[in-house]
Amino acid sequence: MLKLLLSTALAAGLASGACAQEITVGAANVSSYLDPGRDHSNVGSQFYYNAFDTLIGKNHDKLEAEWVPALATEWKLVEPKVMELTLRDGVTFHNGEAMTADDVVFSLNRMYQADFPPYVVRSRDRLSNFLKAEKVDDLTVRVTVEKEEPLWETLLNLQQVMIIPEDYTKALTGDPEVAEHDDFEAFSLAPVGTGPYRIAEFVPGERVVYERFDDFWGEKAPLAKATVQHIPETASRVTALKTGEADIVTNIAPDQLALIEADKNLRTVGSATPLFHVMIMNVNHPKLKDPRIRQALSLAIDRDTLNEALWLGKAVVPSTHTLEEYGDLYMPELKTFEYNPEKARQLLKEAGYDGFEVTFDTHPTYYTNGLLAAQAITEMWAEVGVKGRVNIAEKWSGRSPEMMTRNWSNPMYFADPFGSFGVMWAPNGPSEGEGRFNTDAQYAEIWERFRFSKDVEARKAAYAELMERIRQDPPVLPLYRPFESWAMRKDVSWAPKPGHIPYVLDFRAGSISFASN
Amino acid sequence: MLSYALRTLIRMVLTFFVIVTIVFFATRLSGNAVDFVIGEGMTTEDRDLLIKYYELDRPIWSQYLAFLRAFTDGQFGLSFIERRPVSEMVLERIWPSTQLLLSAVGLTVLVSIPLGIAAAIWRKSWIGSAVMVVAFLGYAVPNFVLAIVMVLLFSYWLNWLPVVGNGTALHFIMPTVALAGVLIAALTRFTRNAMLDVLGQDFMRTARAKGLPENAVILRHGLRNAGITILSVIGLQVAGLAASGSVVIEAIFAWPGIGDLLVSSALRRDYPVLQFGVLTVALAVIVINAAVDLAYAWADPRLRHTVKG
Amino acid sequence: MMNPAVPAPSAPAAALQLWRSADAIQKAAIVIGLSLVLLAVLAPIVAPFDPNSQSLIARLRPPLGFERAKAGHLLGTDELGRDVFSRSLFGLRLTLMLAGLGATLGLLIGGTLGLLAGIVGGRTEASIMAAVDTQIAVPFTLVALFLLAILGSSIEVIVLVLGLAGWEQYARIVRGEVRRLMKLPFIEAARAAGAAPLRIAHRHLLPNIVSPLVVQFTLALSNIVLLESTLSFLGLGVQPPTATLGSMVGIGRDYMPTAPWIVAAPAMMILLVTFAVQILGDWLRDGADVRLRAR
Repeated sequence: MLKLLLSTALAAGLASGACAQEITVGAANVSSYLDPGRDHSNVGSQFYYNAFDTLIGKNHDKLEAEWVPALATEWKLVEPKVMELTLRDGVTFHNGEAMTADDVVFSLNRMYQADFPPYVVRSRDRLSNFLKAEKVDDLTVRVTVEKEEPLWETLLNLQQVMIIPEDYTKALTGDPEVAEHDDFEAFSLAPVGTGPYRIAEFVPGERVVYERFDDFWGEKAPLAKATVQHIPETASRVTALKTGEADIVTNIAPDQLALIEADKNLRTVGSATPLFHVMIMNVNHPKLKDPRIRQALSLAIDRDTLNEALWLGKAVVPSTHTLEEYGDLYMPELKTFEYNPEKARQLLKEAGYDGFEVTFDTHPTYYTNGLLAAQAITEMWAEVGVKGRVNIAEKWSGRSPEMMTRNWSNPMYFADPFGSFGVMWAPNGPSEGEGRFNTDAQYAEIWERFRFSKDVEARKAAYAELMERIRQDPPVLPLYRPFESWAMRKDVSWAPKPGHIPYVLDFRAGSISFASN
Repeated sequence: MLSYALRTLIRMVLTFFVIVTIVFFATRLSGNAVDFVIGEGMTTEDRDLLIKYYELDRPIWSQYLAFLRAFTDGQFGLSFIERRPVSEMVLERIWPSTQLLLSAVGLTVLVSIPLGIAAAIWRKSWIGSAVMVVAFLGYAVPNFVLAIVMVLLFSYWLNWLPVVGNGTALHFIMPTVALAGVLIAALTRFTRNAMLDVLGQDFMRTARAKGLPENAVILRHGLRNAGITILSVIGLQVAGLAASGSVVIEAIFAWPGIGDLLVSSALRRDYPVLQFGVLTVALAVIVINAAVDLAYAWADPRLRHTVKG
Repeated sequence: MMNPAVPAPSAPAAALQLWRSADAIQKAAIVIGLSLVLLAVLAPIVAPFDPNSQSLIARLRPPLGFERAKAGHLLGTDELGRDVFSRSLFGLRLTLMLAGLGATLGLLIGGTLGLLAGIVGGRTEASIMAAVDTQIAVPFTLVALFLLAILGSSIEVIVLVLGLAGWEQYARIVRGEVRRLMKLPFIEAARAAGAAPLRIAHRHLLPNIVSPLVVQFTLALSNIVLLESTLSFLGLGVQPPTATLGSMVGIGRDYMPTAPWIVAAPAMMILLVTFAVQILGDWLRDGADVRLRAR
């Protein structure tokens, strides 16, 4: 162990001594604020992991969950509903303060007992089972839940419960002893964490500059400085890479890959990101009330052709709402969604479809290939006799009663079916709350079993029941796991790690290096 | 002249007030900010909570009054999205936009006035035709196509020029040319037409008849008189460009300017930023226009005496 | 190539004379302009494919003559496997229609208001000019954005937006010219003789402001074509799958490094349209200008 530490320290020393490694990332999107607690966007998730830590860490080299110590070195259940965590000694925040149990309690309770509205919203959909965090002594903290929690580690590993400094935050505005709303607003412009990089400069929407934090508790950061610069236009991003203004660029559409691969100085990496692009269907729209119509709309979509055509076959088309990252709960054996135009035609006939127009709403640019897929889908509907029309708008139409169908994404907020389907399609969750999905007592009962059963098989059985409900009365069709690509200089060695949530730009030790040339 | 300036000033203030009001109500009419700021997937309960937090549940007239009050106490509020003072967000973007604008206008004036005069003088010869063909072609290309073609040519293939931001003088070349392309075409054409108008007029013939050398005739009399038209066109074009012409160019070159900010805050319905941003731009345009008006009046004394209002 | 000099049946002799008076560039512009209009009119007959019909297996194929080209697709296929040539023709058709309607709408609104302001003066003039100032001072992209957000991006709304895009220029020009002309001796004489304002406008003013209006109209036509493409760049233009030249360029820009042919044809058409329109506008101006003709 000591040897390993020594050699790493040596390597780190060499790296920083020989040449201060700096990189610039050209990103299609840069956050407007940086607060891991209130944020769960795909834009924000790029930024937090470099600068913040959770109590329980994860081995991100692996697809399945392997929990590792982070800010907590040990954790154990002391009662069925109480977890005790031992904190790491000698952790320092970027502003020089030492991390104590008070900071941890403050960070957790800002979510568990939230009263700052953006926290309340984020907490309600995934942390509602968590009641409180309490200090036992300077290095011990207890967390209490309402019902016995099968996903302890998963939910203590969330981005939303990354640790921030209490005194610093409270003192940002107003009374330094009280956490006011304005303190949290101010924090999101001047974020401070415990991670290997400190955020040296943040221009919202434009630029995030990381600098190596020398007092980091773990292995030192491999880069002295990393700048993430907003470059919205695709052509400009690719060009910036070529001119050397950027070393890595994000969001390369599959159609651009060949161009970059053709350059001997550049390369691309990609992965099927753990999120689904989905089509949602409004079950309460007067014309779509009959489940057969929605089944038909779903059956008419040839997702494999979409994959071949738009993603060069590199996306992943699922048979049900499941992801490989779920480990034991990965259930590819379920056949919830399929392509069957014959059946679609037949169902339309049975349901008495009279040729009314079905609109498909999409944002012009938000999802890679989103607009293309929308147009292709309406064309596929035409094949079975459905008159479709693409409706482009910036506005989120998911809550509008007039919305018929549209695209959306169901990201994996954490590696469990609860972290994707479970957040989006829970009873009284976002989808039902927006009035385009209905649940009943039976659905709620199944959901409860799926969420809280301690036995994996029981959870799987319950999830299968939920999927069957979705199949019979479909509000959603997962289209595919999109294949997201990054491009970089050939001598930069970086790739998205399989254990992360989508889009994390991980520049920690072991995640990025440079070829010797 | 003084009363003319006063009238101009009053008109400026009135225009500004009208714009303030229109902007306020137009933004509110075009959708609820919560649906953009907070976005997708939210229960009604959560949505109501956030509406309250952002104070969007207040009646619209009370929001309007609060908005007007902002002018007296200088508190223009926080951005819904970035949660920082909108004045700070807007002001930090004005200078980069202004720089770009000035360099584009500078290039335009340098190129198009000589070209326009040449085209007018040698109207019948191939020089005039050639200038006009080039000018027309310049006008005909959408500026973002010009920009992307330049990016591909000079950066992607030749690797001569940088494409991101406004760090060095080299960064100015492509955005400036992309912005100036259309301006040059327009101004060349106006200069030529204005010169033609002037060249045909009696005093020019008189000047020639007096035996003044042709160059002097053109420069002293022609340009001076055509100058009025040219000046107003420059004013108009600059105003137009300040207003919205650079949005697309700023996006392509990741230029931290105000056009980019305005469009993105409009798309996200970030009302406070949008309001303050539009007002700032409007103010700039109004001032430019008033300056052009006054210059116009100064250059053409007849205007000053026109009875008005 | 069509015969460009097909004279208007009503006045063949005048058209012939006009043609003879044109120089080489102007003749070229006439040929280009007429061909484009003809292509637009005949698009449904000339286009080999339905402009919106997709073929996902034949996406991004280059024009004929290049490697991987697909038979039948003269100018290649776009990001959804649609025929670029057919889409360009239909796009041209819609773009010309939008530009014509938009420029005319702007001319009608702006011309009327400008005339009114110039002749009537007083409060009317003040309020019209205040409206002009307002319009000029507000970033037009934003005006368009709000109108499209509130009213939706249907073709009608887009025509309205494009029409509103230039009215204030007409108004300013017309008012300025009218005020200049009103002080000229012959009009002052007419006014002194008690001629009605309408008569003055009709007899004396209109003929004299035709020239700047024609120039402005041609500028507006090409401005509108360009504006439409800018709106498309921002995702606010005519909604897909319907093609306009602007939307093809706006949406196709992401493919410029990899599949430049998607943008090339519509961009070339935009260029030709604005080029021809402006040369013709200039020519008409020169021809209509009394002072120049006298030289």
